[in-house]
Amino acid sequence: MLGLIIPLLVDSLTSAALIFFVAVGLTLVFSVLRVLNVAHGSFYSIGAYVAASLCLWVISAGLSPWLTFVALLASAVILAALLGPLVQSTLIQWTLGKSEAVQILATFGLFLILEDLQRIVFGVSSIAEDTPMTLLGVTSIGSVTYLNYQILLIIAAIIVVFGLRMMLVKTRIGKLLSAVVFDREMALSVGINTKRLFTFAFTLGVFLAALGGALAVPTSGAAPGLGAETIVLAFAVAAIGGLGQIEGAALAAVIVGLARVVAIYFAPQLEAVAPYIVMLVVLLIRPYGLFGNDQARRI
Amino acid sequence: MMKMTWVTAAAVALGAAMTPLHAQEKPASVGVGVFTFTSGPAAAYGMPGKKAADLMVDQINKAGGIAGVPIKATVVDEGQGTEGVIAEYRRLASNPENQVMIAALSSSNCLALKPAVEQLKVPTIAWNCDAHQLLADGKSNYYFRPNGNTVTEFAAYALYLLQKNPNVKRVAMLNPDYAMGHDAANVFSATLKAIRPDIEIVANLFPKLGTANFQTEVSRLLAAQPDVVFSALWGADLSNFVRQASPRGLFSKSQVILALGETVLQQNTLPQGVIVGVLGDGWWMSPDAQARPETKRFVEEYKQRFGEYPVFPSMKMANAVIYMKDAYVKAMAANGGKWPSRDELAKAMSSGSFDTLTGTSTIRKDNEGMVDQVIGTTVKSPDYSFPVIGDMVRYDGKVLTPPQGEDPMVWVKSINADLLKSLPKPGSYK
Repeated sequence: MLGLIIPLLVDSLTSAALIFFVAVGLTLVFSVLRVLNVAHGSFYSIGAYVAASLCLWVISAGLSPWLTFVALLASAVILAALLGPLVQSTLIQWTLGKSEAVQILATFGLFLILEDLQRIVFGVSSIAEDTPMTLLGVTSIGSVTYLNYQILLIIAAIIVVFGLRMMLVKTRIGKLLSAVVFDREMALSVGINTKRLFTFAFTLGVFLAALGGALAVPTSGAAPGLGAETIVLAFAVAAIGGLGQIEGAALAAVIVGLARVVAIYFAPQLEAVAPYIVMLVVLLIRPYGLFGNDQARRI
Repeated sequence: MMKMTWVTAAAVALGAAMTPLHAQEKPASVGVGVFTFTSGPAAAYGMPGKKAADLMVDQINKAGGIAGVPIKATVVDEGQGTEGVIAEYRRLASNPENQVMIAALSSSNCLALKPAVEQLKVPTIAWNCDAHQLLADGKSNYYFRPNGNTVTEFAAYALYLLQKNPNVKRVAMLNPDYAMGHDAANVFSATLKAIRPDIEIVANLFPKLGTANFQTEVSRLLAAQPDVVFSALWGADLSNFVRQASPRGLFSKSQVILALGETVLQQNTLPQGVIVGVLGDGWWMSPDAQARPETKRFVEEYKQRFGEYPVFPSMKMANAVIYMKDAYVKAMAANGGKWPSRDELAKAMSSGSFDTLTGTSTIRKDNEGMVDQVIGTTVKSPDYSFPVIGDMVRYDGKVLTPPQGEDPMVWVKSINADLLKSLPKPGSYK
């Protein structure tokens, strides 16, 4: 029994970790800006491409292979710094206050543009660099050998959950974000610079998505179409957890990961639909998600 | 009355202009639609096909074209989805300048295109798709498959496995969740069980096409502790699976069979002893291929132009182009040297044998090509930086293809130990 539980647990958490980075960014942006950003998946795939390119450069330049870990993190930081303020101050700012239909159409248009840009810049073939994965080695539990890199992903996701919560509770900018989420008009009336906070929140969302993409590179590489696949799953996770809920996104990611893994183990034909069956069941019982509600807004 | 006559004449003229070309003077060029994946994860498999098409068309055109008529190829990306592929096919077919199609890579796309092929009566070469259902009804007049089908291909892997490892007991399978993947699993397991009913299938996984993360599947396979893992993954999916499974020890704990493994030999460091093949005879290093000067020239030019050696999708595409060219030559010989109509070209395609870059293909009455199957295991090579195929066998395609009109799966279940004994042994193809 233990031989079955451990693989289920490890695989579920690993599967949950990567999708969590995207889902939590999506839910953060929605929570602060009240924009459902369809283009969010593109930041994941661009993050993957940039990280793969940087890691390949590190290796081809003959630098220490351990620098590939720096490259993974740096790619997410660079991408967030470049794209976050740019996209927020142009397209996203324009959509604020407009209807949800306009917001979704505008960000979907951005998604299509970014997908084509990726093809132009990075080509149509997949690229990969697995040095970070091979550097960390493996650990065997029973008959199953795991990559230590998988464990690293789980730890990174846990750090992000606690880091975000600490940032919101302990830091000044976090408290300002919470104030804006709770009552935007009141925050404006007391002199909080909401525009700057929107840029910060959006850039943080881009960083988290790009980080997810970057961390996926050593095992999965980067390939065209990654963004579309990711955003659909991220929406499911965000909806299950309750839009705007950080811990909700984390729990939902674990549930979706577990559903997918259980399907692979016991009903492989249901693997692709398992996350959406869970979403359907949760939304039928709790239309606002596991942690959401239709009254007060919290983050 | 006069007005009606003019209208009728105009209609007749317009109708004639729109009608597919009949035997006639040579055109300025012959249009060919080439369907493959040039985008998405499947492009890793589709682009070698496109490269081979580009190279073959250039080679033929430099040599004067087909009877002096240059080929003008239009490449269609199958990555746009099946509906787009059908729309593009119809658009190209409506232009009389396009006389032949080389379509498609995906089994799903081939099956979806079939009604249009027969309705529009355009000779169409299924260059890669190998779903046996495509020509199973024996009624196709315009769809031709010179490169073999799933039954021959995947039965061959099961037979090679039983020759190499007759004591196999536990088998796990990992195949893409669409027509080809399910066919591969069904044919492979049915062939094994036809000879060894005691073999147990301990895992039968179908990740969706385009999956990037196989970690859970790898865990599931490791937990099942199979003697053998069989997979028909391809494209970026295959690269990702190999990258993720290799460090986790799957290749050392089980005998892995990668039916399309030859396509990643140059990219991934596959360990020694992995059973790989080429879904046909399209291994450019095979003894038959190396004995042909035109193949050596093709490989050299391919390497020079694209910076890599061809893979078997390249060879399948090249052989499809050769099949098309030979059919034109044959059709023109049959009608006194006149440029053939689409119908005449289809007739020329429907029978006979033709030499390819890697062997011979014989077209049966149901338009199915009989192609040999080359399978082996990965070995290190002193001449190349990547593993090559050793311990090879070349099975006769005619022996491993179900007779025309017979239910392929019924035929598979009739395979017995006598057939296995009669086959050449691994290592016999040198």
